[in-house]
Amino acid sequence: MAGRGHGLGRGLGLKIEPFKHPITMDPNYADKTWKILEDAIHEIHNQNASGLSFEELYRNAYNMVLHKYGDRLYNGVAAALTRQLQAVAARVEAAQGESFLKELKARWDDHIKSTQMIRDILMYMDRTYVTQQHKTPVFQLGLDLWRDHVVHHPVIQQRMLSTLSDLIAKERAGEVIERSLIRATTQMLVDLGPSVYEADFERPFLAAAADFYAKEAQAFIASCDCPQYLRKAERRLSEEVDRVKLYLDASTEAKITAVVENELVREQMRALVEMEGSGLVAMLRGDRFDDLARMYALLRRVADGGLALMRQVMGDHVKETGRQLVNDPERQKDPISWVSRLLEERDKYEAVVARGLNDDKTFRNALNQAFEAFVNLSPRAPEYISLFIDDRLRKGLKGASDADVEAVLDKTMALFRYLQEKDVFEKYYKQHLAKRLLSGRTVSDDAERGMLVKLKTECGYQFTSKLESMFTDIRTSRDTLADFRSRLATKGTDLGLDLTVQVLTTGSWPTQGAAKCALPAEMERCCEEFRDYYLNAHSGRRLTWQLNMGTADLRAQFGSRRHELTVSTYQAVILLLFNEADSLSYKEISAATEIPTSDLKRSLQSLACAKGKNVLTKTPMSKEVDEGDAFAFNDKFSAKLFKIKIGTVSASKEGEAEKNETRHKVEEDRKPQIEAAIVRIMKSRKTLDHNAIITEVTRQLQPRFVPNPAVIKKRIESLIEREFLERDPNDRKTYRYLA
Amino acid sequence: MNRGSKIKEKEKASQFKTITGASDKVATECLRATGWSVEAAIEYFYSSGLQAAVPSVDMKGIEALFAKYKDAADGAIRAEGVGSFCEDLGVDPSDVVMLVLSWRLNAATMCEYTRDEFVGGLQRLGCDSLEKIKRRLPEMRGELKDPAKWREVYHYAFAWAKEKNQKCLQLDVAMGMWQLLFAEERRWQYIDDWCAFLQAHHNRAISRDTWVQLFEFVRTVKPDFSNFDESAAWPYLIDEFVDYMRQRQAVAED
Repeated sequence: MAGRGHGLGRGLGLKIEPFKHPITMDPNYADKTWKILEDAIHEIHNQNASGLSFEELYRNAYNMVLHKYGDRLYNGVAAALTRQLQAVAARVEAAQGESFLKELKARWDDHIKSTQMIRDILMYMDRTYVTQQHKTPVFQLGLDLWRDHVVHHPVIQQRMLSTLSDLIAKERAGEVIERSLIRATTQMLVDLGPSVYEADFERPFLAAAADFYAKEAQAFIASCDCPQYLRKAERRLSEEVDRVKLYLDASTEAKITAVVENELVREQMRALVEMEGSGLVAMLRGDRFDDLARMYALLRRVADGGLALMRQVMGDHVKETGRQLVNDPERQKDPISWVSRLLEERDKYEAVVARGLNDDKTFRNALNQAFEAFVNLSPRAPEYISLFIDDRLRKGLKGASDADVEAVLDKTMALFRYLQEKDVFEKYYKQHLAKRLLSGRTVSDDAERGMLVKLKTECGYQFTSKLESMFTDIRTSRDTLADFRSRLATKGTDLGLDLTVQVLTTGSWPTQGAAKCALPAEMERCCEEFRDYYLNAHSGRRLTWQLNMGTADLRAQFGSRRHELTVSTYQAVILLLFNEADSLSYKEISAATEIPTSDLKRSLQSLACAKGKNVLTKTPMSKEVDEGDAFAFNDKFSAKLFKIKIGTVSASKEGEAEKNETRHKVEEDRKPQIEAAIVRIMKSRKTLDHNAIITEVTRQLQPRFVPNPAVIKKRIESLIEREFLERDPNDRKTYRYLA
Repeated sequence: MNRGSKIKEKEKASQFKTITGASDKVATECLRATGWSVEAAIEYFYSSGLQAAVPSVDMKGIEALFAKYKDAADGAIRAEGVGSFCEDLGVDPSDVVMLVLSWRLNAATMCEYTRDEFVGGLQRLGCDSLEKIKRRLPEMRGELKDPAKWREVYHYAFAWAKEKNQKCLQLDVAMGMWQLLFAEERRWQYIDDWCAFLQAHHNRAISRDTWVQLFEFVRTVKPDFSNFDESAAWPYLIDEFVDYMRQRQAVAED
């Protein structure tokens, strides 16, 4: 600081100086006083301070400083301390083995006590001389000198370190050691300053630990399986933390933890995760939640990629097992078990994440990605999932509680969410729903509606609007039919058979082209009657009969046995022919009924070739129906039940041709959606380059399906042709919107 | 830009050119200077001395030529007339020079010249006799060597060759035009592969976009397709053609 003591006066032009008067002083004053003080210091050091007068010593020191002997006093103290500490060092050095640390601690305690006393005596010097001359205060000087002469004494330094290391090594090996001495030693080092602790103990300690754990990791990895290793690593980590708490400085905790994590976990993590037979994959296979949790907790400590590694290995495993699952040819034969299996797989991994992986979101995402990847590997996934729901809503839910129904459907929705081709699912769902509604075989209206609500929440109003109108049609049909019947009753008309009609809105239902067939007169009359009634009530509408979707109940007499047969409309038409003749050729049946060939064959097949339901006999006998075959009424038919349901041979799973047709329909339906998306985007952006359009269109359509870039390109070209867009004349990769 | 107004501007320009016999450039210049009013533009044209740029020709000679070839039934030269016109000029009707000539006459349709196109065009060219036209033919042939003009002729060919009520060009016509255009020193080595590919895998009319983009493709993509970028917005037909060629080349290498 500039102008000590005079600063005040400078501004005023004044100078204030202490009053000076000549002091006559004993020329040996300094020597004498110092001698007293030196002796006192010596006594203090020898723990002999009881005979000293603090006041006198203080005054002496005070006077020395006052009389400008500060230098002399300070240097003298330093020299005295140094001498004493050299003697102390010699004593400590002499102590061997176990007594070494004890001696060190005892001397240290003494030194601190005496240095404190000396500091008190020299307090005036500390306040004035030391601050003015920028010297080290006495107490700190005492610590520094201790550091230099005792701790850094070559023999002591080396022995202290090796003693500490030996003790720690012993404890790591499981022996019981005297912790308090170590605690005292490390505390001493900390008191000497953080840098002393770090340089003289912590750094070598950490290096030794790294060395130790590197070796241990090698040994463990060679001898243990993965869960064992993880348990050991976990224990080591907690031991080291305890050690810090017991006898090291708190600042060491993070450092030693990092060392152990690095050696025991990070260095070995790949080997651990990928360990044959007991690594992550084995844990996942065996649902070993505790081991998974342990691995998760340990790898989470590795900031750079511990969990990423786990996620990746898990994702690959899920993808691989999933791939095998969806491509398993045996499972593909049965869509219901195919989907059930996927649901089980998902339940399993849900549990893994929830119970083994701390409910970690990133793992859940990885899981979802993996599922999405393999579920979509199978082009039939949308169809199978819809079939599964169909199965549940038909019969699977009978007897199940509402909550169970809800749970199964919710889980299935999770699979649905993975589907990239949601529009394909919609197609199938519509088909299956139509079958359920028309055959009146849905188990519960509530369940159906619940499913619809789920789809609506997932995909929005558009997705389900047609499905909803199907429900409306069924309800309206019920009313219409009731009205029709009451009209007939009032008119007194008897149709001779019980007609049920469902009026379906065109466009809302998956209708196959209205296949014609020649109805017997009594049936034809019913149809006419209904048509008249309906068109009368709703003028301007058109009715087309979808006979291929109908069913009929027939009463039949086989010898003496009577049965009621539930058959399709086509089958009923065929069977009624046998009222007139006992035997007919395929050609005759075909000519009389005009049923399309493939439908006719399927209908005949189920009437003549299905075991236990063969109400017709076929010559020659075989599984397939041929155009040269002949059919006869089977008099000898018998069955245990009165009511017999004869299904048409129709795969619940689609055949190759149907599949391609559905595929084609889906592709056609996508075109306008892709074009609409392109136009929507270009309308708002005006100009956009090719890749940006592809990205944006894909993003917009993602909730329904993932469009193929080549298809998008074709749509763009079509729009260019129709002059909705043009290419930028200067940059062919950029398109412009034409208003 | 608004398409409607662009089309109107084109109409006005052609009207202007028929009356004055001026070039495209002059027409646009005059019209723009007078705010796209045809009458004002014509007045401007004659008062500003621009008409000096139009070569003086014998209009009667041109009219006589037109009368010679024009179809008796209507007021234009039809296929038959074009045939004898070519014969008199001593060139094959399928010679590429006829395309260039049509381009210079601004003819809208293949094998057809309206009166405005024929008379106005020859006036602009300064040709009032068959001899004079003949003399100009080598020069026109040479114009295809100029990259900018070659490009213009290529673009022009699409509209010229297609049916007027259709947006696309019939495949056989398109292939014929390509064979004509990518011939001689402008030859594209894959022209035959391209046509074979189209017949086998496309067999439909060619859109204007595909037509235009093929020119760029031929111009910029290397023969080994090494600099072909799938994500570079080429029409899908060209994408598929490259796939097709690569497969064939791979098979050939095996």
